[in-house]
Order: sequence, then C-alpha cells, then structure tokens
Amino acid sequence: MTAAAAKQAQFIAPDAYPQMMSTQDAARAMQTLRSATTAVKAQLAMEQAAPPMKLAILQYVCELEEFGTDMERVFEKAHEIRGFAETAGLITTGRISEILCRYMDDMARIGKPADAIIVALHVSAIAQAARAEKDDLAMGEIVAAELAALVARRLTEALR
Amino acid sequence: MSGAGFETLKALIVEDNAHMRALLRALLNSVGIKDIAEAPHGEAALRVLRERKSDLVLSDLAMKPMDGLEFTRQVRNSDASPNPFVPIIMITGHTEKHRVEAARDAGVTEFLAKPITAANLYARIAEIVERPRAFVRCEGYFGPDRRRRMAEDYAGPWRRAEDFADTEVR
Repeated sequence: MTAAAAKQAQFIAPDAYPQMMSTQDAARAMQTLRSATTAVKAQLAMEQAAPPMKLAILQYVCELEEFGTDMERVFEKAHEIRGFAETAGLITTGRISEILCRYMDDMARIGKPADAIIVALHVSAIAQAARAEKDDLAMGEIVAAELAALVARRLTEALR
Repeated sequence: MSGAGFETLKALIVEDNAHMRALLRALLNSVGIKDIAEAPHGEAALRVLRERKSDLVLSDLAMKPMDGLEFTRQVRNSDASPNPFVPIIMITGHTEKHRVEAARDAGVTEFLAKPITAANLYARIAEIVERPRAFVRCEGYFGPDRRRRMAEDYAGPWRRAEDFADTEVR
C-alpha cells in the first residue's frame, strides 16, 4: 500500500458493523415512535418532570445570585438553568439564561473578561423571571431583546 | 407487525443532573425501552459500558470529571471500548457552533440541543433507526461519517478509497 493510499479514509458502511437493531425491529420501533400512544406517554412524562425541575431552577437561581462575580460558576449555573428552564415552563428564564451564556462564551473566546455589570443585570433578570408567579412572555420578550441588544453592543466594543 | 422494536434495547444515560436523567428515562420508557443504566459522568459511563452491553447512549456534554466529548472519544477510539460503533446522542445546552463542531469531531452520532422535547429526542432516535450512518476511519478521526449529504457539484478533493469506486474523477 502506498503512503497516499494509507492516508485515505476507510469507509465502513452501515451493513458492515453491528446495528442498534435488526431491520425487523426497526420497522416496529418506527411504528412505536410515530404512534399516538407514545406521544401521549411522552407528553405526560414532560408534564410530570416540570414541577420538580421548576423547584430545582429556583434553587439554582439562589446559587447563581450567591456566585456574584465568580464567572466560571456563574457560567456553569446559567448553562444549567438554560438547559431545562423551558422544560419547566420558565420560557423567559430560559431565554435570558441563553443570552447570558452566549455573551460569556463569546467574551471567553475573544479572550476578554465578561463585564460584571452585564452579568449582574442578566442574573437579576433571570431571578425575577424565575420567581414571577406567571411567565409573562410579552414582558420577557422585551427584557430579552433589550439585554440581547446590550450584549451585542458590548461585544462589538470588545472586538474593537 | 413482528419484531421487538425497542423492548429489548439497552440504553445508557450519561448526565450529571438527576432531574434530566429522570426525564430522559421517562421519555425512553415511553417508547418501550426499559433496560436503562445511568451514569453521572463520562468516567462512570465507561465503566458501565465495559460491564454491560448498551445499544444506545444519551450523553450530556458538560460533566466532571470526564465530559461528554472525552467520553465519546474514549468510546470511539479506546482499545478497551466494548462497542466503538454504539450510537451516541449528545444532549446539551451548549449550542454554540464551536461546541457543536467539537461534538461532531469527537464522534457523536446525533446532537440534540436543550431544552429537549420528546419530539426532538424521538426524531434523533428515528434518524439512528432509519438512516444508520456509515463510519469513517481516517487520520485523527474515527466515528460516524461527518458528511451528511453529498453535494452534487462537489469537485473534490477525493480522499476516500471508496470515492474512486463509484465516482468518475476527471
């Protein structure tokens, strides 16, 4: 074999390695995935998961507030909140956490520290949204848009 | 229709958050997967994989001491890996482009962004069932083919032996 041939990628077709299931099982599995019964069961599972997740998020929000300017821990916790706030029905909380995570990630990638005031603003907004009795989507959209615009401006400044 | 479907499948959930583990377990249960192992991080998951056969892995990305990327690399490349071909669905809130690319380059089969929905998770599982990916072994990578589709006007470079088998190169 030449060096060039040795460097060529080896392509392993699906029928050349063990599959997750047989063709017969796959047909049955697809039928299950698309069935109305599965959809109902899944919906129930999602609904049952929401209340304990909401309680967990309220706990995470307390921790987030306590972390103050410890940016690494703030990022980790905001990421965790972003991960399942929407599953818990806290859509605004999830969206603001998403903006904070992206801001902190972008700043880390350009090698500059995140602005503590920007982070504090987001943490405050996340806490208020999570603790609100009802997820006010209209207000949440406005707050999220304002914070996203602020982050975009600060990122542009940081890149100069 | 005959066939066991998901009922005989063994799954592994690798996730550091107990709430997310419980939700993923419930969603797998909903399609009939009952035999499910759990691990809170990559290191523990590798031990589970060595001790017990797993047909499907759902893994978080950010975990300590071993994250989902290193876990995936170990599954795909380690000599001690019991099944380098096992489908791995990476489920994470880290959806930035560079992290998605890192997951792809580690060898994940499917990527699912949090917040998860049942429909999105089942769509990824359906993708694995209906359209199993070819695997590629090349310098610095072993895992599912990262080219999802072949562009009709792709002019090369042609780097795979198979590229020459069914492609006229001018």
